[in-house]
Amino acid sequence: MSVRLEMKNMTKRYGQFLANEGVSIAVGAGEVHAIVGENGAGKTTLMRMLYGMEEPTSGEILLDGKPVSFRGPDDAIRHGVGMVHQHFMLFPDFTVAENIVIGYEPKRGGFFDRAKAMADATALAERYRIPVSPTAVLGECSIGEQQRVEILKVLYQGAEIIILDEPTAVLTPMEVSELLATIRTLAEAGKSILLITHKLQEVMEVADRITVLRGGKVTGAVAAKDTSAEELARLMVGRDLEQLSERTEQRGEPLLVVHQVTMQEKKKKPVLDQVSFAVHHGEIVGIAGVSGNGQSELLQAISGLAAVQSGTIRLKDTDVTNRTVALIRETGLAHIPEDRYFWGAAKEETVAENALMGYHRLPAFSRGIIIQRKWFHHLVAAWIERFAIKTSSAHEKAGNLSGGNLQKLIVAREMGRETPLLLAAEPTRGVDIGAMETIHQALLEKRNKGDGILLVSSELSEILALSDRILVMFEGRIVGELSRAEATEEKISMLMAGGRGDGSTQATA
Amino acid sequence: MEALKQLRNSLLQPLIATAIGLAAGAVFISIVGASITETYQQMWNGAFGSFYFFMSTLARSTPILLIALGLAMAFRAGVFNMGAEGQMVLGALSAALVALYMPGAGVIKLLAALITGIVVGGLWSLLAGVLEAKFKIQLLISTLLFNYIAVLFTSYLVSDPFQDKSGSAALAQTAMLEKSVWLPKLFPGMTLHAGFVIAIVAAVGLFLLFRFTSFGYEVKMLGSNPFFALYGGVSQKRVMLISMFVSGGFAGLAGTVEVLGAQYRFVDGALTMPGYAWTGLMAALLANSNPIGVIFASIFLAALQTGAMGVERNTEVPLELASVIQAVLILFISARFTYAWWKKRKQGRESHA
Repeated sequence: MSVRLEMKNMTKRYGQFLANEGVSIAVGAGEVHAIVGENGAGKTTLMRMLYGMEEPTSGEILLDGKPVSFRGPDDAIRHGVGMVHQHFMLFPDFTVAENIVIGYEPKRGGFFDRAKAMADATALAERYRIPVSPTAVLGECSIGEQQRVEILKVLYQGAEIIILDEPTAVLTPMEVSELLATIRTLAEAGKSILLITHKLQEVMEVADRITVLRGGKVTGAVAAKDTSAEELARLMVGRDLEQLSERTEQRGEPLLVVHQVTMQEKKKKPVLDQVSFAVHHGEIVGIAGVSGNGQSELLQAISGLAAVQSGTIRLKDTDVTNRTVALIRETGLAHIPEDRYFWGAAKEETVAENALMGYHRLPAFSRGIIIQRKWFHHLVAAWIERFAIKTSSAHEKAGNLSGGNLQKLIVAREMGRETPLLLAAEPTRGVDIGAMETIHQALLEKRNKGDGILLVSSELSEILALSDRILVMFEGRIVGELSRAEATEEKISMLMAGGRGDGSTQATA
Repeated sequence: MEALKQLRNSLLQPLIATAIGLAAGAVFISIVGASITETYQQMWNGAFGSFYFFMSTLARSTPILLIALGLAMAFRAGVFNMGAEGQMVLGALSAALVALYMPGAGVIKLLAALITGIVVGGLWSLLAGVLEAKFKIQLLISTLLFNYIAVLFTSYLVSDPFQDKSGSAALAQTAMLEKSVWLPKLFPGMTLHAGFVIAIVAAVGLFLLFRFTSFGYEVKMLGSNPFFALYGGVSQKRVMLISMFVSGGFAGLAGTVEVLGAQYRFVDGALTMPGYAWTGLMAALLANSNPIGVIFASIFLAALQTGAMGVERNTEVPLELASVIQAVLILFISARFTYAWWKKRKQGRESHA
């Protein structure tokens, strides 16, 4: 296996801060090389330097033995280095084929040659065994398919080295295994893959070699066959991870009772169909399901962000069906939203102002109509400390925080309300292992105090680790309930896919 | 340090837009065939050349400032109130009628007139807000069309039922207000009246409201990310309705102080012809809806107009010079918004890299 790309002693300094310090990696042809590390470990900086988006402070990049320095993404692509971004850069109104050839369109007589684009895209997809339908409009494709389009686009542009930035973050379990298979296919075809991720199971499954970064430095460079997920975690975090403690059942009175709730637009299929369940004091109820099966709508209905057409929602014996968000929050609900940028924060405003949401009318932090920001700042400082939120100050723009740190801020804000019920949607999406541990511990503490938590997550491992009971949603309905003892990944996966959970795969719809 | 940097950033773009506006004015001047430096010298003199001219500029800035403050409130909340003109004339006429026909002492009438002007302007604006809340009629359209109703209705009222028939010429205007309800002049022999003080106090008040109150916080968050505000329990409807009332109230007050402090009667067209409402809109945009910035933007835009009058008095260059500079300013301010939007998008894409 010949070395195709080498980065030697890469260092990047921002002022006093060393984002990368003497990082070296080498990637061969046909190799899948994973770069793992927590958020802020320097993975992104390293890739940005490779991709010509950042100037290295020192260090050398060798491509096929020759020193190179790219002036930007276009230049990198010309040298056969392509990147699949976490957030796709595609045009939803164009077809799959058009998206694949964009920027390098086949032309005939100066005009776009649509037929050739279609043929090229189809040939490319077949060659690498990546299933897409070239004529489909991209916006109507699933996230997994959009990602495959993104990969094909990079291949079309002639990439030999493909960087995949957190590619599985947005995928369903099924799509993840398809993607991992695609990655293997590409490697067998001789492509070099740089896989940036913090999901260790996937790394163990697909990577040949693994470089671990912590605090900008390489803490381990190992072959996958010589290591284990536990060792990688230790290298990433710098210590052993605590196991979540076993717990005793302590289920109390019903706290949230959802009864036969239906949400439906006129003449359309209901997005919530006669949903009934309860969350009791002192339990975590997990909702598993492939995203888009009604989980978002359920959370919006409970929190007052969307109206339901029939059924009732009772919180602490108060009917809160279709009431205002403010009233429901006052009754006893806090909410970690699934999309932190859409619902959870105002990126342009400061950390302090983002933290204040929901507290700004509490008597404890205001005198009349005047908000007492000084009183509040102590609380925010405590949150920053407890959750180790990395920010230069409370006056930093929230948009400047990394995704994981912003998430920690949101979790701190919502936990801080100390409400009896907490809706936690994807509470650890995009956060690093250390933060995930903190957040999971905090959720468990809340449960042990006797509060109820409704947990929605697309990470089965998270659902399994935290939940006392697990409900599975499929096409707007609850299709199964499993206790902590009886739940296994297989049973849940089966229900998630519309099977009955007893081994049969027949759809219940 | 951070605050200074922010200040510099927020000042830089309006200053660039202004410089380009003045450059475009220079082109206009040279096409007319006059000397650029002399014309701008005359313009400066017309606006700030003497204490009298300076006070006239401040007087002209008063209604602009009040309207701009109301719009700053609306824009911050993400509400598009384009109806300042109608709100202004309705407020002004109602105030004039109260001042004319209400019995009582002068001071009482003056206060009643001021309050009436605010309330009528506010209610007219609120009506558009209610239509949006109840029937989803877009504010941008309803407020714009409401201007025609209000302007033509007031025009009718002063052309017939409330027309001053005492004079020889049948002008469309109300009778003259008695002296006891006039807003006092700040300096004898100058045009500047107490309305300017009211406007400055209002600007500071609005600044404090944005900065320190829970309502100000809700307005800011709604303007910044409405979904975040909704999620946090902010009632968008409530903030929208309050913002509509307040911004309409400010517009009504703008018309009212013009009537009580400058014209002493409601004259058809006297508020709409100088384009106070639209200049106020520009001032709010130029200052990026910052209440303190709005003070300076309003004085600057008023100075362009009074300066251009000075230019017309003393040179061959016509009054339209001010319009040219303003038009280019608008162009570049809107370009600034597009640029900010574009940059945000680009950043958004890059931050994922």
